[in-house]
Amino acid sequence: MAKELVGILGINQDRLRLEWVSSAEGARFAELATEFTEQIKKLGPSRLKQAA
Amino acid sequence: MAEIAELIQMTNTHFCLDCGVCTGSCPVARVFSDFSPRQIIEKCLYGIEDLSDENIWNCLTCAQCSVRCPANINFPEFIRLMRDEAYSKGYSGTLTHNGMLHTIWSLQTKGITQNRTFWIGDGKTSEKGDVFYFVGCRPYFDVIFRDINAGSIENCKNILKILNASGIEPVVSNDERCCGHDALWNGDEETFKKLAEINIEIIKASGAKKVVFNCPEGYLTFRDFYPRYFGDLGFEPVHIIDFLTEKIADGALELSEFPEVVTYHDPCRLGRLSGIFDPPRELIKSIPGIELREMPRSRENSVCCGTSGWINCSNCSKEIQVQRLSEASATGASTLVTACPKCQIHFRCAKSAFDLDIEIVDLYDLISEHLK
Ligand code: SF4
Ligand code: SF4
Repeated sequence: MAKELVGILGINQDRLRLEWVSSAEGARFAELATEFTEQIKKLGPSRLKQAA
Repeated sequence: MAEIAELIQMTNTHFCLDCGVCTGSCPVARVFSDFSPRQIIEKCLYGIEDLSDENIWNCLTCAQCSVRCPANINFPEFIRLMRDEAYSKGYSGTLTHNGMLHTIWSLQTKGITQNRTFWIGDGKTSEKGDVFYFVGCRPYFDVIFRDINAGSIENCKNILKILNASGIEPVVSNDERCCGHDALWNGDEETFKKLAEINIEIIKASGAKKVVFNCPEGYLTFRDFYPRYFGDLGFEPVHIIDFLTEKIADGALELSEFPEVVTYHDPCRLGRLSGIFDPPRELIKSIPGIELREMPRSRENSVCCGTSGWINCSNCSKEIQVQRLSEASATGASTLVTACPKCQIHFRCAKSAFDLDIEIVDLYDLISEHLK
């Protein structure tokens, strides 16, 4: 649902990611955070920021 | 920023007679005994009210109290002004739906390019023209309230179908923003003004002279609040109901039979706040075979649908909604007709949670389904 709403707002859906990670999965959490940071860096600054 | 004492002067709230008619009439006070408009006023008059008081956010701003007040005190307006103060000091109501709707309208104050016209399908619209159809928040509601089948976007398709059947191809803009109604009533005047400015600009650029609404909140906000902040708008807000009653009276639109008993719920923004009571009833009765039965609390005495501005939805809201749906059932009607997208959402939420045996239908969906 959040992805769909972001889409209607015209924000790139790749900027949103929902993952479920349990407290026992520290390594997985770190991996996901790094991966998502890379992804956002690749997308560059959001238009929202430029327009604000 | 005005202090409470100043607000009292501005709104003539010191004329209060302490009669208690407001509290006696208030749907919230009936269910939740800690809430009392009379007491809020009294505390303000004695200088012991505090902007941190949570009760400021429990009012539905439904105007049931103010239409009955012998001293003509506009309590919802007083509350709105108090919220302006409270909000500027960092207080707010409890946001429903995790603040999703508040986030959406805040983001809409920025220079975003939305994708909100996906629903149009084979409906006919124009880039520029005399008539603008103000869709409102429905593309978003459609996603958020899908689980309770609140069918918001179908309703917009039906309005477009009605306009097209009358030979109108309205402007539907991908740049439209929330009208700002909820930000305004939540005390966030700044956001309200930003949203309103963008909407006015977009409508002016479309060349429209008339802006058609079916959401009573949008209509009221454009009719009464935009001019207060921005003066003459250069276009006229028109409610679809006036347009429809005219077309049906002229014979330009004809309706097919619907042999059902229905009852009608007056939304507070359409009835008490905009003064539109008869047209929806005439419209319902223009469907051949239909029987309209009134609920005991109708017209000026209609009860609010239980929450407003996406704040403070509680078991008090649910109690109000369940009472209202039971009242509708007790008339013997199979269907409750409403004319506000939010009444629709709130009643459907209560119906799904409590498994109540009554259909809830939007007035314009009903008309559109019975267009010949
Ligand atoms: S109904 Fe009006 S006069 Fe009476 S207590 Fe309420 S605000 Fe005061
Ligand atoms: S506006 Fe409605 S909810 Fe608020 S105090 Fe008046 S009657 Fe109660």
